[in-house]
Amino acid sequence: MGANTVLKTRNNQVVLQLIISGVVIVAMIVFGVIMLLAQGGVIELSAAAFYQMLTIHGTGMIGAAALAGSAVMWYFLDHYVNLSKKIFNTNLICFLIGVVMVIIGVFSFEYASGWTFLYPLPALSAGAWGTVGALLYLGGMLLIGVGFLLLFIDTGRAIIQKYGSLGKGLGWDVIAGKKSELDAPPAAVVASTMVTIVNISALTAGATVLVMNIINVVNPAITFDPLLAKNLTYAFGHIFANSTIYMAVVAVYEILSRATNRPWKSNKPFLIAWTSSTILTMIVYPHHLLMDSVMPKWILVMGQVLSYANGLPVLIITAYGALMIVYKSGIKWEMPSALMFLSMFGWTSGAIPAIVDATIVVNHVMHNTKWVPGHFHLYMGLGVVAMVFGFMYYLAKNDSSIQTNGMDRFAFVVYLLSMLGVSGSFLVSGAISTPRRFATHIPEWMGPAQFGAYSGILVALALSIFIIHFVRYLVVRRKALPTTGRAQQGMI
Amino acid sequence: MKQMIGGGILFLLLGIPFTIVFLESMMVIHMLVQIPLLILAGWLMGAGVLQKFPRFFANWNGNGVSGILLVSIILMYWMLPRAMDEALLGGWIELFKFISLPVAGLFIRDSWTKLKTNGKSFVFLNFLSMFGLMGWLYMDAPIQLCNNYLELEQKALGWGFLAITLAMILYLLQNVFMDHSGREHEPL
Repeated sequence: MGANTVLKTRNNQVVLQLIISGVVIVAMIVFGVIMLLAQGGVIELSAAAFYQMLTIHGTGMIGAAALAGSAVMWYFLDHYVNLSKKIFNTNLICFLIGVVMVIIGVFSFEYASGWTFLYPLPALSAGAWGTVGALLYLGGMLLIGVGFLLLFIDTGRAIIQKYGSLGKGLGWDVIAGKKSELDAPPAAVVASTMVTIVNISALTAGATVLVMNIINVVNPAITFDPLLAKNLTYAFGHIFANSTIYMAVVAVYEILSRATNRPWKSNKPFLIAWTSSTILTMIVYPHHLLMDSVMPKWILVMGQVLSYANGLPVLIITAYGALMIVYKSGIKWEMPSALMFLSMFGWTSGAIPAIVDATIVVNHVMHNTKWVPGHFHLYMGLGVVAMVFGFMYYLAKNDSSIQTNGMDRFAFVVYLLSMLGVSGSFLVSGAISTPRRFATHIPEWMGPAQFGAYSGILVALALSIFIIHFVRYLVVRRKALPTTGRAQQGMI
Repeated sequence: MKQMIGGGILFLLLGIPFTIVFLESMMVIHMLVQIPLLILAGWLMGAGVLQKFPRFFANWNGNGVSGILLVSIILMYWMLPRAMDEALLGGWIELFKFISLPVAGLFIRDSWTKLKTNGKSFVFLNFLSMFGLMGWLYMDAPIQLCNNYLELEQKALGWGFLAITLAMILYLLQNVFMDHSGREHEPL
């Protein structure tokens, strides 16, 4: 009970971030379903409303995944290094204020550039939205970015304080043979170091292009190179979105090793894989610009080649590691471990359409189709989301005595099948050349969109059941808190 | 004491009319040599000032935040092309430059030791992106930003800012990958 009491107190902020993220994810699914229903011809939606929803859906999903992922990472990293709670809270406050600004910008001032806010679109809306809407959206995003930047500065500080340098956090001294594998930093620290490095770079690039856009919106006479802007935007977007899985994967290492009672070893191949991913994640973003013929050719070729290499190191090491740690371990499958294991499938299978699309000749045909949303719905929907909800089940199990029931297991199956339905519908749409980001579809494209919408409704229902379990845990926590307080004061 | 005298001498040298005219003759020297030297003079003179008035600084700049905020505001003001332009006209703005920048230097000295690692890192990264952005602004501006300096000069200044940004990135990289084990101070 003593250990649980300490955990409960420390988990307050983590729990708050998780529940906010969970609710936001379900709310964003609702927008996704509405868009698919409109594309499927089931409901009528104005083009303006569609693009506003597209903007909020993309922004909200990545924001919620990042918020939840950072909570997972923070929770486990805090076991090994001394993190600042104040900074963690500051990030949440910046996030909430930023989200309010974004929502007002989108729905009250009709801002609808998509999450990419691709220069010069924020300033050139052809009357679809005005300066205030653009400034609210861009300012909100900047504030969210500042909060995350503070958070990763703090994780970097804490890692350097404990391990000496970010290189040592990645285990370079072990790779170099100066230290034995037994003294290597834990998997959670290695992953967090990688995320710290890539996200500080991403957020700095993102802040720069956001400020450039803000200046351009305020004074359109001040312009800048659109290709530079696109590079900065995708350097930020790719790395930041990608990092959500690297943050949440910490839960896989920690939860599966606890469930199987086997340590997840930071051996040399593991450390080399994470160092490779640190570099590759930062330089692979040109695969988003393969259709920009004005980009230097060598960068585009690099984008293709590195994309093949990017996913493999950590993905293979982690997926293979997950299989090995489970193999003949006698693991008792429960919701946390099952969701973690499922996330390995989502991550692995979700990466495949991306690798296909990163091939230049395929990209020229597929990139502007729904094939790409097919990739990231599979990758994020069955990867990051499974990790986050798996962690929520883990926390509930670890901190309280509430049990999962048949509904949770039913929701697991529904979630798996329906998320495959959503992703599959996008991939099929891509295969039949359905363009993405189109508010309306011709009849031939409508079938998969309708299937995706109905699958999306089931995903929302399944995730709601997951959330209900977490809310049950919150209720138990709330009742337990007075006891916790007294325990801390030494009264019991 | 030596530092204070050194700072005073530097300040006086910078205040000689010939030095002022020379340092303000080129935009890049004005922004990237004269202004930093005035800050340095303030930083050096600050050694004595801080010793003389420790209570004042403890009361008004206890954790270094208010001081560094003042520094940021002063430096942001002096990054504006218009501010440089007005200083060239002489008079009050030039006088303000010779007062505000040494004050910024003084507060950098007082605040930097008081700020915690997160605060220092945030300020550093903030200036890093700000310098990068100023570099872009001066290089890419389609119009002449100052009445007193040509477009070519503002492009040179842009490259100067970019060089500083690059140097800051290199410093940051060596700092975070250098081994800090066993050191009492924290990185940055």
